[in-house]
Amino acid sequence: MWDQARQALTASMNKLLSETASLLPGVVALIVALLISALIAWVLVAALRRSLAGIHFDERVNRWGFTSLSEWSPSNSPTLLVARFVFWLIIFFGFLVGIASFDATLTSQLVHSMFAYVPNVLGAVVVLLAGNVIARFLARSVLIGAVNMNLQYARLLAVGVKWLVIVLAVTMALEHLKIGGGIVNLAFGILFGGIVFALALAVGLGSKELVSRSLEREASKTSGNGVEEPFRHL
Amino acid sequence: MGGERSRDHRDIAKGDSVDLETIPQQARERIEKISKADLLVGVLADHANDAPAMVRQALAGFNETPRTVVFQGDHVAASPNGADAGSVDSGAAQEEGVFVVPWTLLSPDASVSPVQSMANAYQFILAAGDKLGVQACCIVGSDLQTVTSEWISRLVQPILQGGFDLVTPCYAHGKFEGLLNSSLISPLNRALYGTRLQNPLGPDLSMSRSMFQRMLGAEQGNKPAGSQTRTLASLAPTAICGGFKICQAYLGPRTFPPTDWTNLSSLLVQVLGPIFLDVERNATCWQRARPPVSPPIVGERMMMAEDKGAVDVRRMLELFQLGARDLPEIWGLVLPPTSLIELRKLSRLQPDQFRMPDDLWVHIVYDFALGYRLRTISRDHLLRAMTPLYLGWVASHSLEMENAPARAVEQRLERLCHVFEANRSYLVSRWRWPDRFNP
Repeated sequence: MWDQARQALTASMNKLLSETASLLPGVVALIVALLISALIAWVLVAALRRSLAGIHFDERVNRWGFTSLSEWSPSNSPTLLVARFVFWLIIFFGFLVGIASFDATLTSQLVHSMFAYVPNVLGAVVVLLAGNVIARFLARSVLIGAVNMNLQYARLLAVGVKWLVIVLAVTMALEHLKIGGGIVNLAFGILFGGIVFALALAVGLGSKELVSRSLEREASKTSGNGVEEPFRHL
Repeated sequence: MGGERSRDHRDIAKGDSVDLETIPQQARERIEKISKADLLVGVLADHANDAPAMVRQALAGFNETPRTVVFQGDHVAASPNGADAGSVDSGAAQEEGVFVVPWTLLSPDASVSPVQSMANAYQFILAAGDKLGVQACCIVGSDLQTVTSEWISRLVQPILQGGFDLVTPCYAHGKFEGLLNSSLISPLNRALYGTRLQNPLGPDLSMSRSMFQRMLGAEQGNKPAGSQTRTLASLAPTAICGGFKICQAYLGPRTFPPTDWTNLSSLLVQVLGPIFLDVERNATCWQRARPPVSPPIVGERMMMAEDKGAVDVRRMLELFQLGARDLPEIWGLVLPPTSLIELRKLSRLQPDQFRMPDDLWVHIVYDFALGYRLRTISRDHLLRAMTPLYLGWVASHSLEMENAPARAVEQRLERLCHVFEANRSYLVSRWRWPDRFNP
């Protein structure tokens, strides 16, 4: 009986050791793949950073209107953000190569499902970028227009419009990513409705004074009491 | 016909070219019937019943009366003068060599802005002048309340008898009239191109055949008229860069249209857009250094009208302060930090101390011209964002000149022009090295 127990124990030990030993080349391959990808990433990122600095990428990004990209970036540098993104992307590919040395079918399934999701991610990124550009353009239009109309709450209006468009873009992006589903739609409805309601209230209450002032001006014009302004521009 | 005319004006507003086919049928038939003329006078104002008589009077001093065509609003065809003169076959008209073509030049379509409508009218007149083969085109863009026969005579004579190519007007305006021209258009034009023109944009002016053909873009080669039509803003720069002979004419007081405060930023966009665009197009011309030239002036000089009474600049100051509070991030895309700091300081001043330094204003204008070229932000946004700054200058100028006599105002504006000229190197440096040169 003891012999049988010893044999079973030895067999299981052998099995465990052989399975562990069979994993070792994979682990080594993973480590090597990660090291090589890190080396490639480091070289590529250094070249990328140098070339982006050469074309003044940070200034250009600001000039193109993506000022928020600087705010989100490490050290307020979009160049650094792009470089780090590229670095981790290469590391990720190295990791996938390393994983393939364990089990090729697992990796292919993982890669397949990931690539199937890529169009959604790209769609979401495009929606977010477009939303950001449109939000900034509209916010700027509203801000300048409201200042030229001498509205004291010009900035509030501009910020309201900007967030309205950004919230819409984020919701559309989440919809693309299939995250949240019903909850996102419900939250968006509540948030969007809330912003519109708040803006309507703000404009409505704020424009009371504006309307009364313009009526006063009209009244003074018709009664002839108003002094004609001497300013002629063109 | 009205609908057809509106569509024509809109078509011209979209594109830059003018085609004679877009001229209303009735006017076109009359132009074709007249076939040939020496002088074309286009009167843009409505209710221009006196225009033909005024033109006849203006031409009375000529030894040989030029064969003249007058364009004026078509409603006058029903008036006693218009009914007679409106027909090409009319004996009276032919006898005096003056033919009247009823034609409402300014678009009645509300969707076309007044500035665009006026620009279209100029192009229509020049295209019609080309068709008629005239030697000179005279355009009267001001309200006829102050226009006299002497105006037309002074505008036309230098072209037909003096050999000049372009005659621009000098007005005896009030202290606070023509402010956009005094503060920006005229000094900028003078600093860049070196020719001292009081009103480079007219609106009352005349030009020779070679000049308006250049404006129509039909001078070189066999290009059809209108293929490269230039805007009114490029009139003076085209004449200066093209080496045309320019003179000015003292015309006296002019009625300026009242300010539409709700559309002031649109006005800036419509007026400054073509000017800054022209600065960009003519960069090689204006970057060549040339000595300042004062073109000859015909007529008797008249001083500015003496305006009296206090001016209310509260609204302009409020708008400037609001702009200084809410727009620095937009201004910061165009203006250097030093200008932004000065503007911030300025916005904190009390109204009685509010004075915008000339250097600051000149740098603002130059930086916005550069921003327009670089497309740092949307051009429409850029020019609209300039409105509070312009009103800041107007407020500062008005407060400073409130009680000053007309002579002092003229001297003050002359000083501003000198500052524009003195800072020309600033624009040249920024233009050439926009990224490197940022004081």
